[in-house]
Amino acid sequence: MKKKLLIVEDEKNLCLLYREELTKAGYKVTAVADADSALEQIKKHAFDLIITDIRMPGKNGIELITQIMAQRKDIPIIINTAYQSYKHDFMTWAADAYVVKSASLDELKAKIKELIG
Amino acid sequence: MIERYNLFLHEFSQEASKELQLFSIIAQSFFQPFSLMDNLLVIMTALTAGPGLGFNRAMLFLTEGDGLKGQFWLGPASAEEAESIWHVLSTPGIGYPEIIEHNRSLLTSAEADALTQRAKKLSYPLYKEPALIPALTGSARQMILVRDARNEPTVDRHFVETVGTDEFLCIPLVSQKEVLGEIILDNAITKAPITGREIELASICGLMAGNYVYTAKLQKRIVDMKKVAAMGEMAMFVTHQLRNPLVTIGGFADQLLDPHTGERKKRRNIQIIRNEIRRLEKILLRLSQFLRIDVREKVAVDVRDMLNLVREQVQPRIAGRRIILDTEIEAGLRLILCDPTHVGEAVRNVLDNAIEAVDEGGRIDVRAYREGTEWAVIAVQDNGQGIPEAIKGKIFDTFVSTKEKGMGLGLVYVKRVVDACGGRIEIQSAEGRGTTFKLYFQTEPRAKGAKP
Repeated sequence: MKKKLLIVEDEKNLCLLYREELTKAGYKVTAVADADSALEQIKKHAFDLIITDIRMPGKNGIELITQIMAQRKDIPIIINTAYQSYKHDFMTWAADAYVVKSASLDELKAKIKELIG
Repeated sequence: MIERYNLFLHEFSQEASKELQLFSIIAQSFFQPFSLMDNLLVIMTALTAGPGLGFNRAMLFLTEGDGLKGQFWLGPASAEEAESIWHVLSTPGIGYPEIIEHNRSLLTSAEADALTQRAKKLSYPLYKEPALIPALTGSARQMILVRDARNEPTVDRHFVETVGTDEFLCIPLVSQKEVLGEIILDNAITKAPITGREIELASICGLMAGNYVYTAKLQKRIVDMKKVAAMGEMAMFVTHQLRNPLVTIGGFADQLLDPHTGERKKRRNIQIIRNEIRRLEKILLRLSQFLRIDVREKVAVDVRDMLNLVREQVQPRIAGRRIILDTEIEAGLRLILCDPTHVGEAVRNVLDNAIEAVDEGGRIDVRAYREGTEWAVIAVQDNGQGIPEAIKGKIFDTFVSTKEKGMGLGLVYVKRVVDACGGRIEIQSAEGRGTTFKLYFQTEPRAKGAKP
């Protein structure tokens, strides 16, 4: 059975890139553009891993993580952001990994493999 | 019953002593938009002017790095000069403000007067052993009255020669922790001995001067810190703005290299890459435009032409949205003084915000009119959502934006342009009811001989 990933990313083209590359890597990928849609998806489907940006319109990624935690959903989370600096934000510790966006997706793929295989 | 009094006194009662009046003038000067040197000049003038405390000469040092550095020296250089200066000063109708003005012109004249030129050459390390006067005054945080300078071993020899008199009073300018400068007072011309009462009065001037230098220093530090903070924010912001397009370009370029990628997908990828590169270019353009606001010369710009052009530029954004954009220019108002390239862009920024703020069927009024004889106002009024209360005080801060994708540079840019043109901005906004931006510019004064 393919592992299911949920990607939360507001940049349309990045979303497309992640979907294609991670599908190619053998995952079943759902991509949404904001935190509220992500919460809706989590309610309906069981995901093996969530990858989220931090800065997004509406709720940001840290608020999203807080809400996921409040629902006691034990899903691994990877933060994928353009900012180094959020790494020191207390709530980002609740995530399982923090990957700074890079033109190569190798690090992100490696982290996913490490967390869910 | 209550009685109100002006805090900034202009006239004093009969009983008010000359000294009280002087201290009031000094204290009031701190509220003027004077420079640090101008304010210190007010104090130094109070110490030396005929109607002031009456010392013959006053020299100012300020701390630069680890030492005292001479800044200026007020007073006559010789007995003859003293006579002519004091003669002028005793002319009826010459008041304290005139004397300050006179002193200011002395210091800013091309050949700053002889005493000041000598003072500017002086510098003494503050924390070197053995501490000699004048540096000793600062490190001891005490006023020191020197009586027999030529035979006093604690006074620096070169300083004695420069001052050229045996008796002088040293007053340190200090904050709680720092030595900020020093004032040297003497009666080299009249040779009158310095009295205990003069020392008491001079001490108050010293405290006020120290306090003022300290405040000015803190203000400068705050401005510097704000600059550093803004730079940090800028760096973080640029990182983010550039990283997303770069990741996209990198990712889709990798796919291009993959031999399994089909032709159609390749074409799509190239298009995405091209679009992201255009976006990068746009970001860089906005940033460089923002960093390079440099209004060298204000020229007379025709308001009507400018507003028409801006209107044309924003037309595509309102087309099909049922937004009413109405422009009204007061008859007779034609020329304002500004930078034509930047001001058009600034007005467009404000108009863009208004367009963003109004809903379908909204209304935007652009009006240009005169206010008083000096100002022309370009007002942009919309009936849109208004500025959220939470960010009202911050709209001119860099990188604060109400828009999801906003860079938060627009209004900072507008403010910088208007400031650079010598104008100002007023804003009225109510949440849910709309916003009015008023940009004030100077009007072109009518050329001589021109017909109205």
